[in-house]
Amino acid sequence: MWFVRFVTSSIGKKLVMAATGLLLFLFLLTHAAGNATIFMSSAVFQDYADELHSHPLIVLVFSSALLAVLLVHIGVGLYLFYENRAVSNNRYVVSKRVVKNSLASATMPYTGLFVLLFLVIHIFGFTFSPKDVPISSTVRDMLSNFFYALFYITAFIALTFHLSHGLWSMLQTFGVNHPRYELFIARLSLVLPLFFFLIFGGIAFYFMTGLGANY
Amino acid sequence: MSSSINLTLKIWRQPHSDALGSLETYTLDHISTDMSFLEMLDVLNEKLTKEGKDPVAFDHDCREGICGMCGAIVDGVAHGPEKEVTLCQLHMRHFKSGDTLVIEPFRSRAFPIKKDLLIDRSALDRIIQSGGYVSVNTGGTPDGNSIPIPAKQAELAMDAAACIGCGACVASCPNGAAMLFTSAKISQLALLPQGQVEGKERALAMVAQMDSEGFGNCTNARECEAVCPKGISIRNIARLNREYLTAVLSEG
Ligand code: HEM
Ligand code: FES
Repeated sequence: MWFVRFVTSSIGKKLVMAATGLLLFLFLLTHAAGNATIFMSSAVFQDYADELHSHPLIVLVFSSALLAVLLVHIGVGLYLFYENRAVSNNRYVVSKRVVKNSLASATMPYTGLFVLLFLVIHIFGFTFSPKDVPISSTVRDMLSNFFYALFYITAFIALTFHLSHGLWSMLQTFGVNHPRYELFIARLSLVLPLFFFLIFGGIAFYFMTGLGANY
Repeated sequence: MSSSINLTLKIWRQPHSDALGSLETYTLDHISTDMSFLEMLDVLNEKLTKEGKDPVAFDHDCREGICGMCGAIVDGVAHGPEKEVTLCQLHMRHFKSGDTLVIEPFRSRAFPIKKDLLIDRSALDRIIQSGGYVSVNTGGTPDGNSIPIPAKQAELAMDAAACIGCGACVASCPNGAAMLFTSAKISQLALLPQGQVEGKERALAMVAQMDSEGFGNCTNARECEAVCPKGISIRNIARLNREYLTAVLSEG
């Protein structure tokens, strides 16, 4: 069947990575927007959380779909990583990468796995937090712990690297590469990940440093 | 004015495909800086032959950068340190006296080593055979200008057609992928009206062949483009991705 042939081909797998990556990216946008309410006040954030959870079905459908997308992204990503290692591990006595700034592309599986570790801890900490404590307090209490917040910030640095190659790579995989948009895409691949870093990292920083003591 | 340099070479020696290989060290004095890299290897081979030793096997043909036969990894970089040259067009003036050069064959799971620096690149030929041509019968010789093609389009097709199939892209790709090669061979036809007729079948067949040869999966690391002696752009890979996606969604 054409679909099986498609998803098992090398380019098909790349397109699956790119499509699921795009969906995860869109999720990050909504998540960043929602969480930014923290900078307003605990009340605004609590309102947002209560409003969201007053529609349990939306949350259920949305998070199940997100989980499926994430699992496909991670599964295919690790499969590609495994396949490529079998082809190319330690080929040369002397090897040198010619491309500058290859750090983000060379570390994709590792930054991705670090984000996965973060996600597991993040979900256990917040999604499955005790129901009798308001989420706005849980967030403050958890992130006021210096090392917990530091771990968050480290994970966001990994995410920034992952997305900086990911965004460009996704567009290339979709076939979007044209001289007219080259500079724009290069800037976008820097600015958007940094934007996420500012919002998500900013929240951790806010509580870690005590700036948000009376939020 | 020509001057000469002294070199230490560490060259991958492997008697045949199934043998274990290793780096052998040779010293070579008074190499003229006007020599090409292959001429330097010729000097070494003459010396080895006179000493009754086995000369280093390496591929070459035109020695003017157009046939795609030559190539080796020099100090970790395909075709050596200069940009956009093949090994045969790399000159010894780019090296200093006293340099130690490590010379290894192009490696990929799909490129078995035949002997020393000599590899079997027929996997690339099989990708071409699977669809990298135009097979529409046109009857008698058509008039040269019967199908107008915009100059820009023709130039892009020519840029893709500059690929000489040396395999440096595969050898340098961290994943051993053959995407730059395949994308150039698809683009040179997909950009022209004559090639578009069979465009979809071609994209499907060539990608299927590429996958079955045991090349890796592209992760957009861009190393291929950086070492390509003909400056083939990864924009061709983006085009291949588009060609493949439209073909898979609408063909058959
Ligand atoms: C949770 C664990 C994750 C793992 C293990 C992971 C792993 C990977 C791997 C191995 C690749 C392929 C890299 C390549 O082609 O060189 C990739 C690409 C990508 N990832 Fe992730 N990732 C994770 C999370 C995320 C998240 C949370 C996002 C976005 C919010 C994301 C967005 C992307 C994008 C846009 C790409 C580029 C797709 C392409 O290759 O064209 N990833 N990821
Ligand atoms: S020998 Fe022909 S390209 Fe080098």
